[in-house]
Amino acid sequence: MKKLALGLFFIVGAFVSNAQEVTVSEILDTYFENTGGREAWNKLDGYSAVASVDAQGMEIPIEMINMKDGRTITKFSLQGKEIVQQAYDGETLWSVSFMTMKPEKGESEDTENHKRSIGEFPDALLNHEKMGYTVALDGEDTKDGVECYKLKLTKKSQLVDGEEMDNIVYYYFDKENFVPIMQEQEIMSGQMKGQVAQTLFSDYQEVDGLYFPFSMTFQTEGGGGQTIQVESMELNPEIDDTVFAFPEE
Amino acid sequence: MKVLSTLFIVACGLSAHAQSIEKLNGDALFGDMQARHIGPALMSGRVSDIEGHPEDSKTIYIGTAGGGVWKSTDGGVMFNPIFDDHCQSIGTVAIDSKDPNNTLWVGTGEVWTRNSTSVGDGIYKTTNGGKTWKKMGLENSDRISAIRIHPDNSDVLFVGVQGALWGPSEERGVYKTSDGGATWEKVFYIDENTGCSELIMDPNNPDILYASFWEHRRTAWSFNSGGDNSALYKSTDGGKTWNKIHNGFPEGTLGRIAIAAAPSNSAILYSVIESEDKKLSGLYRSDDAGASWKHLNADFELVVRPFYFSRIVIHPTNPDIVVKAGFLGSISRDGGKTFRNLGSMHPDIHDIWFDIKDPDKLFVGTDGGLYRSLNLGNTMEIIENLPICQFYHISVDNQEPYNIYGGLQDNGSWFGPSSSPGGVEARDWEVIGVGDGFRVYPHPTKPHIMYSEMQGAENVWRYDSKNRQTRIIKPFPVKGDPKLRFNWNAAITTSLNNPDRLYIGSQFLHVSNDMGNTWTKISPDLTTNDPAKLNQAESGGLSLDNSGAENHCTIFTIAESGLDQNVIWVGTDDGNVQVTQDGGKTWTNTTPNISGLPANTWCYHIEASTFNKGTAYAVFDGHTSNDKNTYCYKTTDFGKTWTSIVTDDVYGFARSFQEDYKNPDLLFLGTEFGLYVTLNGGKNWVKFENNMPATAIHYLEMHKETNDLIMGTHGRGIIILDDVSPLRQVTNDIVTKKLHFMETKPYEMSEESTFGGTSSETQFVGANPYGGAQIIYYLSKRHTFGKMSMKVLDMDGNYVTSLTPGKKKGINIVGWGFSTSVPKVAKGKTITYSGLTAPRAAAGKYKVVIQKGKETYETTVELAYDKNSVFTHEERKKQQDVVWKLYDMMEELAYMVHRLDTYMEHGESMAKENAKLKKTVASMTSEMNALKKTLVITTGDNYVGAAENELREDLGDLYSTIAQYSGAPSSTQMENMQKIQEEMQEARDSMKKIEQKSLKKYLASLSKMELASPELESYEEFVKKD
Repeated sequence: MKKLALGLFFIVGAFVSNAQEVTVSEILDTYFENTGGREAWNKLDGYSAVASVDAQGMEIPIEMINMKDGRTITKFSLQGKEIVQQAYDGETLWSVSFMTMKPEKGESEDTENHKRSIGEFPDALLNHEKMGYTVALDGEDTKDGVECYKLKLTKKSQLVDGEEMDNIVYYYFDKENFVPIMQEQEIMSGQMKGQVAQTLFSDYQEVDGLYFPFSMTFQTEGGGGQTIQVESMELNPEIDDTVFAFPEE
Repeated sequence: MKVLSTLFIVACGLSAHAQSIEKLNGDALFGDMQARHIGPALMSGRVSDIEGHPEDSKTIYIGTAGGGVWKSTDGGVMFNPIFDDHCQSIGTVAIDSKDPNNTLWVGTGEVWTRNSTSVGDGIYKTTNGGKTWKKMGLENSDRISAIRIHPDNSDVLFVGVQGALWGPSEERGVYKTSDGGATWEKVFYIDENTGCSELIMDPNNPDILYASFWEHRRTAWSFNSGGDNSALYKSTDGGKTWNKIHNGFPEGTLGRIAIAAAPSNSAILYSVIESEDKKLSGLYRSDDAGASWKHLNADFELVVRPFYFSRIVIHPTNPDIVVKAGFLGSISRDGGKTFRNLGSMHPDIHDIWFDIKDPDKLFVGTDGGLYRSLNLGNTMEIIENLPICQFYHISVDNQEPYNIYGGLQDNGSWFGPSSSPGGVEARDWEVIGVGDGFRVYPHPTKPHIMYSEMQGAENVWRYDSKNRQTRIIKPFPVKGDPKLRFNWNAAITTSLNNPDRLYIGSQFLHVSNDMGNTWTKISPDLTTNDPAKLNQAESGGLSLDNSGAENHCTIFTIAESGLDQNVIWVGTDDGNVQVTQDGGKTWTNTTPNISGLPANTWCYHIEASTFNKGTAYAVFDGHTSNDKNTYCYKTTDFGKTWTSIVTDDVYGFARSFQEDYKNPDLLFLGTEFGLYVTLNGGKNWVKFENNMPATAIHYLEMHKETNDLIMGTHGRGIIILDDVSPLRQVTNDIVTKKLHFMETKPYEMSEESTFGGTSSETQFVGANPYGGAQIIYYLSKRHTFGKMSMKVLDMDGNYVTSLTPGKKKGINIVGWGFSTSVPKVAKGKTITYSGLTAPRAAAGKYKVVIQKGKETYETTVELAYDKNSVFTHEERKKQQDVVWKLYDMMEELAYMVHRLDTYMEHGESMAKENAKLKKTVASMTSEMNALKKTLVITTGDNYVGAAENELREDLGDLYSTIAQYSGAPSSTQMENMQKIQEEMQEARDSMKKIEQKSLKKYLASLSKMELASPELESYEEFVKKD
């Protein structure tokens, strides 16, 4: 989720003249063209970000690294202790238990779903055709007071409680400037099942010619949220394999 | 890069066009203002229809009388609403068996046609499991009884339209679409008074359809069920031709007819008949697909109130097990010969659904929610997360938090708090009336006294919660009085001028100045007193139904002016708006002065303005005359002239209204389909949709202290729009500014305990309002590009804390929970939870600074201490002094450990490369580690493997203990502080000793070897937070 969120970029400038006739291709082409170009995005092998979460009186530092090959790590730091929230080393999805401070493997279904998402880099929209995903214009809607185009991205199915389920993400592109400002996805299991998880994007900034949202707010529709504020990013960082590796005891 | 920057500027400049409040839609105006639902759900509300997925028994949908459609995907444990943007009165839900995960249809308009039922506005379809819906026509159908989808062709549907309840309508009968709802053909129609009340499709042959037709009509003063056109029909050619199938049915006039076909053997049909001949009413069975019928049963549950209970449901595999909706609901296991009641649950059963995989499990929809049984209806359990109760009216008191009082359809009278520790739970609500509940009021100054009533004012109670005494205080007729006529929902109100005063309206206005003990009539009959509308004893049609629901020519709304007790407004259900300016001596009927209002349109609410005693607003509801227009009028001259303040922006007939107390142009209108707001006295209206379903709002009230708008909805319980004061400040001027801060009141910092929360995961818990300070601002454009940050500073500019700014176009509300910043905590092996506590800010003003790109915006926010605080200024000061002293000690300790870690890490790395340093480093590290082990935990985990406390933990424990209590620390705590201070001093001494000896030695060695010394942050840098 974090990777998806951070993998969203930015667009400025080109505006499609006749909104009535806008197509998915026009939206995406304009968007990629103005965020640095598809070529540049495809050359990106990975990025790292230093960020923080404001928790009323406490700024929790977060570090995120996402690689094109699916390796990822997100860790936060509390009282100087680093706690891995989620990592994937190419084989194992893992995190650190807050109770024991020891690494634990992710559940097999979560791992499988993560593996299926490899290739969605820096976001599923960039190479969605290659991934076998489809994108359709699903009307218009107002989000955050902004009139948006609603794009429906249908991905490979996902496993939910042992069953293959649809995997659909909605993107909302600001009609005025073609920036995605929100993503929505249905929560598929647990007590919140059936509710809609939203990710809001803002504070787009340029990093070496590519544009990223430096602010992402995760919330349920109509509910409270948590914002990750990116402070700095590095593109194509050199990261040692051991950073992602599940620490065997 | 340069190109991009230029384009960025272009993008930002694009929205420079002028904005005005008339042009703002709800999304761009209300922003972060969110409706807050507090239910309750413990008594739930009327469930009108249940539908299960044809393959996945865990997926269940319910349609409700006024609360929309809810979906469960876990076998009925948790439900979520999926139809909030549309009409909330539901007739039926249907699932397309060819695409059961995605394609659903909803027919709006409840078909259980009680007096208080709402209306529908068409048929809707979703193709994504309920995420989005599209209206597919039949806008004037009013009530849709059934949707039957062809099992082999999703584009072919048959729809039963029961149609208008309150008048004639040609949009009734059986409709068919062959193109997925793009066009509709009326394939079977009787007449404009007879609708299709049930339509079923043979489970084995989609060409065979059965349709029951019902002749019926309601008026505001009567109900008629039955007529010569009521009949049961069958089609065997896909709806082209229809034939009556009455072989075995009673002769004479029929009323409402239920029909069901057994899923396991579609030749077996059950029908329930409302008949002129009572002996021949009740259950019929056919074993030859309707060719002949046999009468089986006329027991009470089979014949009771057909307009409300005409549904029979057959077991999925055993055609001899049938369940009949009814007063208690009943089940037969012998093919309908005998029945026994279903298990104990709320009465008034409307629908039943059997689990397809385990038919012993069934769900039952009642007037009091959804029930589940695991043993074929023997015992029932209620689903506890459906806040779909139907308030007729609400009122509020002046307590903190304020309470909300209200009466419910078939669920009595209640009061409960607007907030509660842990959320507003089932246990927070108290019953103060039985039967159907309507107007409930607290005594304005005696919080233990409250008034409630039941239907038709059969009882009006005064309840004294202090000694749990109840007294019936309804007025009785005295010599010379005619029979007193009270509405089903009889008008009662308290007075703004005399706290012991109570008004109640029959056809007369009665007043009591001693809390209901003695009553005086202060008006003549204020209604039209039309004899044609006073024959309730004959109401009901074939089944007499004189419940009080049709009482008419009564007073429905009473409003005493808060500015002059002699000015009293009265509105009647037959269309009169009467006013007295002399306390009831003389009355003027102002209705003739209202233009554009059809005669006898029900006056639902009158609001006496708080700005001017000659000003009032009147809301009229014509739906009981089959008129769904919106009527809301304003007078400024005691009713001599009235002006409509409704525009085309408003959808649905209105019942409720609220004038703001501060801004006379800020008005709220509650319609059958949601909440509308005007900022300009009615020039234009904007629908409020933030977490606000399109539910019928029967009453609106505003709380003067909190500025909350409280909505009594008829289907979604109580919904609160917290603090509407930002709306008072929205003008054409501010909506053109890039960023405009709203003025806010000082925020009180509650010192109450937060213990609470006893509900289980499956119970509904109402949300609490935000308890912190709020920074509120209007953004004329969403912030999307570049940085935006928000900081809180004290008035001297010192950093206090950071907050996450809102960025949406419209009103942004950022909460500040009064926290400053947590201390920097010494790094150990584990986390110390006490270090997650931030001291609370002191009362006073604070600067809030927003940095948005290159621009800076600043406002102030004021915090105040809890006015109910038990602490003195001195006690508070003592607490703050001690907290900040301990805070500094926490940070000092953190820096000490940081230095030790820095030196040891440096030493270790240097010693690796320089053998000569090994001994010095080993000695230094040994001393440092020995000290560190006394300062922080260096072993164990964050749970039960925790190590023994060290100084950090002891210090933190005391710090957070004192920080969480606003009063002075106790003597025990101060003694503990003394001990910790001594330990801290010992640590400082040890540190100093190490620094002066072994560290000094190490640094000297480094210098001698010309090696770099460790780089150490200064204390100020180390603890810096902004």
